Amino acid sequence: MYNAIVVGGRCAGAAVGTHLARQGLRVLVVDRSRFPSDVLSTHFVWPHGASYLNRLGVLEQVRAVTPAHTDVTVVNNGIELRGSVPEQLLRNQFRLLHDDDSGITTDYFSVRRHVLDKILVDNAVRAGVEFREGYAVKELLRDEDGTVIGIKGRDGTVEHAQVVIGADGRNSFVARALGVEKFDERPRCTYAYWSYFSGIPDADAQIHRRGRLGMAMASTNHGQTMVLTWGPSEWAADFRADVEGNFHRALGLISEDAAGTVARARREERFYGTLDQAAYLRQLHGPGWVLVGDAESFKDQCTALGITHALRDAELAAEAIGRWLGGETDRDTALAGYAAKRRSQTAAAYYDYVCTLAEMKPLRHDELQLFAILRGNQAEIDRFIATHVDVAPVSEFFDPSNVFLLNDTAKESSRDHSAFADFEATYREHQRNPFQRVAAEATR
Amino acid sequence: MTGTLTDEREDGEVVAALIAAADEADTDPSTAAKAVAAAAREVSDMMRNWATHIPWEDLEELDTLPEDEVVRFFAEDYPAIRADLEPMWEPATAAAPAIDPDEDYALDKNAYDFFRPVGANLLSRTEEFHGWVEARRRTETWQYSRVLEAAPGGIATITNDLSKPARGINFNSQDYLSFNAHPEIREAAVRAMRDFGPHSAGSPMVLGNTRISDDLEAALGALVGLEHVTLFSNGWSAGFGTVTGLVRQEDHILIDRLAHSCLQTGARAATRNITRYTHLDVEAVRTHLARIRATDTHNGIMVITDGLFSVDADWPDVAALQEVCHAYDATLLVDVAHDLGSMGPGGTGVLGMQDMLGKVDLVMGAFSKTFASNGGFVAARSPAVKQYIKMFAGSHFFSNALSPMQTAVVLKAAEIIRTDEGEALRGRLFSAIHALRDELTTRGLTCMGSPSPIVPVLIGNEKLARTVNRLLFDRGVLAFMVEFPVTPTGASRFRLQVQAAHEPEQAREAARIIDGALRDAREHLSSAFGNSF
Repeated sequence: MYNAIVVGGRCAGAAVGTHLARQGLRVLVVDRSRFPSDVLSTHFVWPHGASYLNRLGVLEQVRAVTPAHTDVTVVNNGIELRGSVPEQLLRNQFRLLHDDDSGITTDYFSVRRHVLDKILVDNAVRAGVEFREGYAVKELLRDEDGTVIGIKGRDGTVEHAQVVIGADGRNSFVARALGVEKFDERPRCTYAYWSYFSGIPDADAQIHRRGRLGMAMASTNHGQTMVLTWGPSEWAADFRADVEGNFHRALGLISEDAAGTVARARREERFYGTLDQAAYLRQLHGPGWVLVGDAESFKDQCTALGITHALRDAELAAEAIGRWLGGETDRDTALAGYAAKRRSQTAAAYYDYVCTLAEMKPLRHDELQLFAILRGNQAEIDRFIATHVDVAPVSEFFDPSNVFLLNDTAKESSRDHSAFADFEATYREHQRNPFQRVAAEATR
Repeated sequence: MTGTLTDEREDGEVVAALIAAADEADTDPSTAAKAVAAAAREVSDMMRNWATHIPWEDLEELDTLPEDEVVRFFAEDYPAIRADLEPMWEPATAAAPAIDPDEDYALDKNAYDFFRPVGANLLSRTEEFHGWVEARRRTETWQYSRVLEAAPGGIATITNDLSKPARGINFNSQDYLSFNAHPEIREAAVRAMRDFGPHSAGSPMVLGNTRISDDLEAALGALVGLEHVTLFSNGWSAGFGTVTGLVRQEDHILIDRLAHSCLQTGARAATRNITRYTHLDVEAVRTHLARIRATDTHNGIMVITDGLFSVDADWPDVAALQEVCHAYDATLLVDVAHDLGSMGPGGTGVLGMQDMLGKVDLVMGAFSKTFASNGGFVAARSPAVKQYIKMFAGSHFFSNALSPMQTAVVLKAAEIIRTDEGEALRGRLFSAIHALRDELTTRGLTCMGSPSPIVPVLIGNEKLARTVNRLLFDRGVLAFMVEFPVTPTGASRFRLQVQAAHEPEQAREAARIIDGALRDAREHLSSAFGNSF
């Protein structure tokens, strides 16, 4: 009999298991894979994600094999902003969510999952978690009231626990077995294709948008750079008709500089891709079960927050479950506390923010002018970046008193940016699918 | 495993090949089994471990099974697997339900998206915004431009901008003590009309004021404990004029980030040295003042706050703010538009509640919430401040004075506020406020702030708020939904403004209706957010 069984042993699962084991609870974590093991992921870790890793005690281990940076460059239709997530905003966020701001770091990195997940699994075992890899769950066990009381493996083994935690990702077995439906689904998401390149010097991450296309370059493990491009789901079918050709074509359309850098580099792996990025929410808990990470809420990759939010939710869930199993409060009260933090006004606003961004509408005149006037105001650039990655609430940056003040105190104008030269024609052009023509020519 | 080879196919292509091969299973099962198994083996570890719901092992082993097993697999097991494989290959939007473009556009955008339109022609570039307004109107989610068909009491009859009528419990009007229907207030207006006519016919600096104006200045001075009062023709211009009248471009402004629009706009018009401080945070003010005074001792600093915040229903520790202002030679301006007359001992508002009457540097207010009229004022301790503001506040000097009827109405209201009747009206008002807040809270909705004539019901998400707004219109509650530019993005809410004329049972009934509309809207949008989840 365990206090908790965690199904899924990657970011959300290993983390929630570690936190619970450190509270002195008896925890079993199971995963279908054997580690090290890779998984489809754009594997970016923002500073709050890195801070969560630090709180788990693995930051140094990750940093030892992964290049880290603080400044990030964000370019929209050629308008460049460079900044970082401010430490103070990180502290505010951790105090608000966890009443504890220890372990804060402003570093971010891009870490391959076969590296990160192995470190997290080993760390969980050191914390006292019993870990079974290569273990597939066949069935959830329930009592006569329907309360989940344990799991049955493919191998026929049966284990019981006070709570079963589903940390098994977007295609969660636990959520499916429980019949927990998705809601607030947002099918207008991005497609994303990426690969790994050698020969690009280690540098700050770059995130580019032009029209309806996006790309990112980030240094990752093994001296390689991950290069990712994405666009609106409506264009996915045309893009995939020629993944390699369109990958480079997209980079060229977004940033000639970046495309040149990638053209001179050497691709080290196949292309990876995903079209299945529709956002959703699921109920967070029920009798004997809790969901964490992608299993409970998935958002498009376009702000690269999956790992970071999985680590956050693992800590939030472990706090709540700890209060319940530690006898501090009853189950429903404790888990309602978890739900309240995950369903806050701020969380709702961010969900909308990402889902709107994921539609990849062409950048509007008002957005571009905001980017232009932000230049020269480093504190607000940093706050914008923090808002973009869910460190600061959307409602604090997009507060009328702030956005009108930014306007009236701007130090720069749109004058020097070519994005405004013939805005309306460019905007119309940006609405055309550039891959369609290619598809048509290919069949001719 | 770590990584794959550069010449391996991208997973989408492999999955497509797998599906295509399996679709041929009817004609040649064993060839299909071989192709499916080969494709399954080619899928990357990344995809395999992501798509944990696909039985990859079973697919890989398909070519080792006897043919009858293969046939059974394709007939019985495979259809469910195919359903799971498809979303990995088909773009997500392919499966998206059809949307109503008007509804989508209306619910999605935000007024801020139209703040910097494109184009050299100032008039034609308003068209895009208008297109959005029209989409909001067509979908009945445009909360503005409603009109009254009769006096706005506790119940009101209105029509919206599509000429659609509604009648309901009215939280849309600001008339906290219900003075609009008070016989003595109406009589005061009639008398002034008879004595002076409808028009003041001039700036208050020229000949726009009457002896009623003088009496009103004295009455207001007595109410807030600062005798030198200047009248403005509306509340917005009182805030704007006070700030721009006193602050110059090298001076500094510290302003609560949620202070009223007239103060924010005035601040931006006066100087670029503006710091928005964390809502209600006196320690933040202290820190900012210390920072400014460390390098600048010869310019002025104005610290600006609301008394009762008009969409948050909370108020600052005015005593602490005033103390820290004095410590750094800064000037405090408090806007008591919503609390003066409607709450506090003798109707003295937040200042009276904190024993700060006569102790604040500058107090401004508006008459439109409790005093049954347009207009505003600023009160100061010295005649010099008064004369200076009158000269340099353009919205005072260059604007026609309040009409005689308006000054008479406000004067009568200021008198009643201080009587036992005023106290009784505030008692009725707060009975309704408590009934409303209690019923909303019991139902799991979030009432922001503290009991006051403003009861903000937090919704957050604009889509949800706009949908609730549409539903409420037909259900007998008139409630104003506020979103950007009244609140920050993602922080929309219903601002219920309570009146002395509201019966507690009306308030409870309204709370029940709002709760029902919120539930229905959340269901309509399949939203997990909002209250009481």
